[in-house]
Amino acid sequence: MGGLPIAFGAPALLFGLLALPVIWWLLRLTPPRPQAEPFAPLSILARVLKTEETPAHSPWWLTALRLLVAALVILALSEPVLNPRDNSLASDGPLVIMIDNSWAAAPDWDARVSAAEMLIGDAETSELPVIIALTADRRNDASPGTADHAREQLLAAAPRPARPERDATVGAIIAGLDGVRPGTVAFLSDGIATPDSADALKRLLDLGPAEFRLIESGAGRPPALTSASNGAESLEVTASRLPEAATGTETLTARDIRGHDIAAGRLSFEAGEGAAGGTIEAPFELRNDIARISVGAEPTAGGVRLLDDSFRRRRVALISGEAADIAQPLLSPLYYINRALAPYADLVRAESADLSQAIPSLIAQNPAVIIMADIGILPDEPGRQLEEWVNRGGTLVRFAGPRLAAAPADDPLVPVQLRKGERELGGALSWVEPQPLADYPVTGPFAGLPSPQDVTVSRQVLAEPSADLAARTWASLADGTPLVTAAERGGGRIVLFHVTAAAGWSNLPISGHFVDMLRRVVQLSHAVAGAGGTASGILPPWRLLDASGGLVPASGDARPLDLTTGIPAHAGADNPPGLYGTEDGFVALNLFGTGDLLEPLAVPDTDVTVTRAPIAGDTAFDFKPWLFGAALLGLLVDTLIVLVMGGAARRFRARGAAAAAVLLLGAGLAAMPHPARAQAAGDSQPGDADILDRLDRTHLAYVITGDDDVDRTSRLGLDGLSSYLTGRTALEPGDAVGVDIETDQLAFYPLIYWPMSDNSPMPSASAISRIDAYMKGGGSVLFDTRDRIADIGTGGGSPETLRLQTILADLDIPPLEPVPADHVLTKSFFLLDSFPGRYADGPLWIEALPEQTDDGARPARAGDGVSSILITGNDLAGAWAVDDTGTPLYSTVPPDPWQREYAYRAGVNIVMYMLTGNYKSDQVHIPALLERLGQ
Amino acid sequence: MAARGQLTQSTTRLDALARARQRAALLPDCLAEARRVANTVIAGWHGRRKRGIGETFWQFRPYVDGESLSRIDWRRSARDDSLYVRDREWEAAHTIWLWADLSPSMHFKSDLGLVSKESRALVLLLAAAELLSRSGERIAFPGVLEPVASRNAAERLAMALSLARSGPAGMPDLGRISRSSEVVLIGDFLDEADTLEGCIAPAARRGIRGHAIEVYDPAEETFPYSGRTEFRDPETGAKLVAGRAETVAADYRRVWLARREAMGAEVRRLGWSFLPHRTDRPASEALAALHGRLSGVPGVMKTEAR
Repeated sequence: MGGLPIAFGAPALLFGLLALPVIWWLLRLTPPRPQAEPFAPLSILARVLKTEETPAHSPWWLTALRLLVAALVILALSEPVLNPRDNSLASDGPLVIMIDNSWAAAPDWDARVSAAEMLIGDAETSELPVIIALTADRRNDASPGTADHAREQLLAAAPRPARPERDATVGAIIAGLDGVRPGTVAFLSDGIATPDSADALKRLLDLGPAEFRLIESGAGRPPALTSASNGAESLEVTASRLPEAATGTETLTARDIRGHDIAAGRLSFEAGEGAAGGTIEAPFELRNDIARISVGAEPTAGGVRLLDDSFRRRRVALISGEAADIAQPLLSPLYYINRALAPYADLVRAESADLSQAIPSLIAQNPAVIIMADIGILPDEPGRQLEEWVNRGGTLVRFAGPRLAAAPADDPLVPVQLRKGERELGGALSWVEPQPLADYPVTGPFAGLPSPQDVTVSRQVLAEPSADLAARTWASLADGTPLVTAAERGGGRIVLFHVTAAAGWSNLPISGHFVDMLRRVVQLSHAVAGAGGTASGILPPWRLLDASGGLVPASGDARPLDLTTGIPAHAGADNPPGLYGTEDGFVALNLFGTGDLLEPLAVPDTDVTVTRAPIAGDTAFDFKPWLFGAALLGLLVDTLIVLVMGGAARRFRARGAAAAAVLLLGAGLAAMPHPARAQAAGDSQPGDADILDRLDRTHLAYVITGDDDVDRTSRLGLDGLSSYLTGRTALEPGDAVGVDIETDQLAFYPLIYWPMSDNSPMPSASAISRIDAYMKGGGSVLFDTRDRIADIGTGGGSPETLRLQTILADLDIPPLEPVPADHVLTKSFFLLDSFPGRYADGPLWIEALPEQTDDGARPARAGDGVSSILITGNDLAGAWAVDDTGTPLYSTVPPDPWQREYAYRAGVNIVMYMLTGNYKSDQVHIPALLERLGQ
Repeated sequence: MAARGQLTQSTTRLDALARARQRAALLPDCLAEARRVANTVIAGWHGRRKRGIGETFWQFRPYVDGESLSRIDWRRSARDDSLYVRDREWEAAHTIWLWADLSPSMHFKSDLGLVSKESRALVLLLAAAELLSRSGERIAFPGVLEPVASRNAAERLAMALSLARSGPAGMPDLGRISRSSEVVLIGDFLDEADTLEGCIAPAARRGIRGHAIEVYDPAEETFPYSGRTEFRDPETGAKLVAGRAETVAADYRRVWLARREAMGAEVRRLGWSFLPHRTDRPASEALAALHGRLSGVPGVMKTEAR
């Protein structure tokens, strides 16, 4: 393949190029047709045109363009292909494909799969068995198989958030080959060396394959994050990559535990360098929220660094010796500490003033920092616990005070030896002035903070001079006496402020520097090892990284993390990278540890032919469609040129706009839904006319029981009530409607009258459930057992009552009560105290109102909404029923004309109550409301 | 791709009768249009602007001894102590020879112009005839209509034109026209061989005054063509192909304007007036200007000057 690797599918067609001169000659002969115009002042024009040569031919460049188009078409027809693929597998043994499906393979995994697929396809053509082995998988079935089997294996494979284990994989391949000499060995590598890779490759090459192909991705291999540490000003991140000639700048993205971006940074690799450091600048508060850092646009498991509790917001415990803290908060030694740290840390206060209880309970809460304000003598046991806690990594911050000054000098929990008593600067018996602070030492933790000019100290405790006093001093006064000292103890640290935490000895606590200093101290602290929920030693996997750097719930073969031997430096096969523990406390395990470097993979010297190839998938590039596209483009350009030369642009300007508008209109019309079709599927249904009839007026409804007598009484009764309503009220109901509760739509009626009849068939369960739905949907049913007269003497249990009980057994009935005297039903139109029908003295049962509250002065009560059920035995319809002439059908019992009048009034009240709800009960308050408004 | 310009009727049909018929069909429209245009101008009719024999009042002047007593205006004289004579405006009729070019080149109309040049020329011709005959002048068309004084002279001119067997070719023969006449020539004056100046010079030397209205299409002035274009002379049929017409537009405009400038200067030197008129301007504009010239107040309606 010398020069450009181009092959032609139909090279014979290239002879067509010989015809180009002929085409040239033909094209030269045909100028574009001129536009004919009548023009009277031709003689004038002739005078002008004499100087201009009228072209008889097309311009040369137009001809050239057309020739180019012709050449493109001929070339396209000859089907040129760049990088044609050739099947060059060694045919004397099985094809072995070893694929790195490690973290670094994740970004170009698809390309790897297609490269492997091509190899498998070649093997299929050559009828070779195929062995596929994945280096990051723990169990490899590396026995030779068919191409189909290999494809299945390939499709099932996925990149893993792990480092490749090539040696084990080569072992599996050797076992799978079982002594057979392999033909082509293809290694789709991620290009990163592992400790065992040289060995593994040597073993692989020792098998004596006919050909060894190392297929590697080219430049741009993903970097890995190797460490992240919380500095004073920023989060410092180090990363590693395979050394490349070019410089590279990567973006760093910091996310919180929920995956939101909260900060960003930058990381620059120098040319040829494999390691680089970067920073993420973010406020301290924000940095505490960072749970995950990723590098680059396409994160991989190695390019993501998980952070655990050591980065989280610190918990700070506060202890002071005084019990009177709460009574005088401004005098409390903890007041300023509280104010300074509350925005930046979780503060925990001691529960009791008894230190032997307070300190163990605070330590149990696993704080990162304990601040003790002016505590002189600690009891033995808490002191020991505190010391042990500091050794485990806690940071103890102490403030001086009179009690500390008076304490014996052998206190183990101070960073420096203290002199007994305190030093007073200024005051009546002193010549010296209160001392300002010196600048912070540049090497100390306070370096970089603004210089404390306005802070003066008038009293302090003094340290005994010693050799390491200067090293332990974090801040000092202008005369050099230490103000803040600190000492490391085990994994932790003790910090002593030589002044009080309140403003008594200095004005430090009321200055902004106090806040800065405390924040720095808290920032320097870290979680106490082996404390709290993580102390169990065995942590279950909680969230794991996938190969592309996302956090997924733990699954698969991840094993619990055993902390008894310490946190492992990096993730292994048993413990993939991720978060171990629980949501409350977890340990982050990352793929790379501090100081890890990525090295390029080296192939040991061998006499086997080693070919290197890039992972480019199918590199064959078919020119045909592009050539045709270019030819079409050329034709379009030619058309435009001809149009412009013919002066069409000007002519088409107006017409073009109109045509575009027409096209747009057409497209819009086509896109519009067909309105006629939408309406054709009309929703008219049988019974619509009835429904419309019911909707225009209010109708009273009764249940058709099937007992003709009862139904007639109901209809006439409701008609009578309707005419009474029409006469007395603003309501003009239509004719009474009998409803069949099995089938009819009930929703149109505010009130359904349901007389019980022993002779009627029992309604079906579905009918009763329809009634139930009607009542729950806001309708009301008036049950009338009509048995008041039969009730007398029998002691209840008439057939109608039994029927009612049967029906109600299936309904969801609220608690009932007889209508109380202050119920709104007694006032909704007429003022009533009873609800008679044909019978006078039966009660009307109604949904019980909520328990009355204290304001007994309310004249009317109503719950929200309307009672969905009313039960009476008074045979209301019987009292209301009149014939056509207005004569009542049934006499009342006892025969009293006023009783019928009251029965009507009861009906009016019931209907009004149904229609207006608790409006009336609000209405009775109007006088009170007006009075309250001052009218 | 439609052409910019068109000929309003085919020039290949040389049948004179057919052309006459077509012209006859055009004439009533032109006549109606001419009346409408004339009505807009008639309001500005100012007579001869000098004292003479006429019907309308011109001025009062003091009575001079020796004049006929009957000429004294007693009503005016009674208002003060002097005697006044009422002068009337001079309204003498004389013959106006009208001529319009009706050659094929006048059939041209581009999409920039409102009407063809011929149509515009006829409208101007008939409108002038209408105007003049209303004010009692005698009008004539060389070779078509002998001088006639009539209220319906415009109609008679139109009739005569429509009946003319063939359009008068070339410039008119002004040799028969008497000295007291005025001449109005309307045309595009594009003929190289038969120029306007050559036509009017002998007449002007005889003292005949006249007015030339050059009717032209906007396309002939602005030359809005572009691209490869073949130009064809409607009279001779000669063809000329411009490779990229837009390149010569500037030159063409320069030559066109220079030619008109030269023609106008020559005509004015001969004592005639020269009026260019573009067909995308209203006809009344040219008519008003012509009327102003005829009435001796050339400055009144000089709105066509561009």
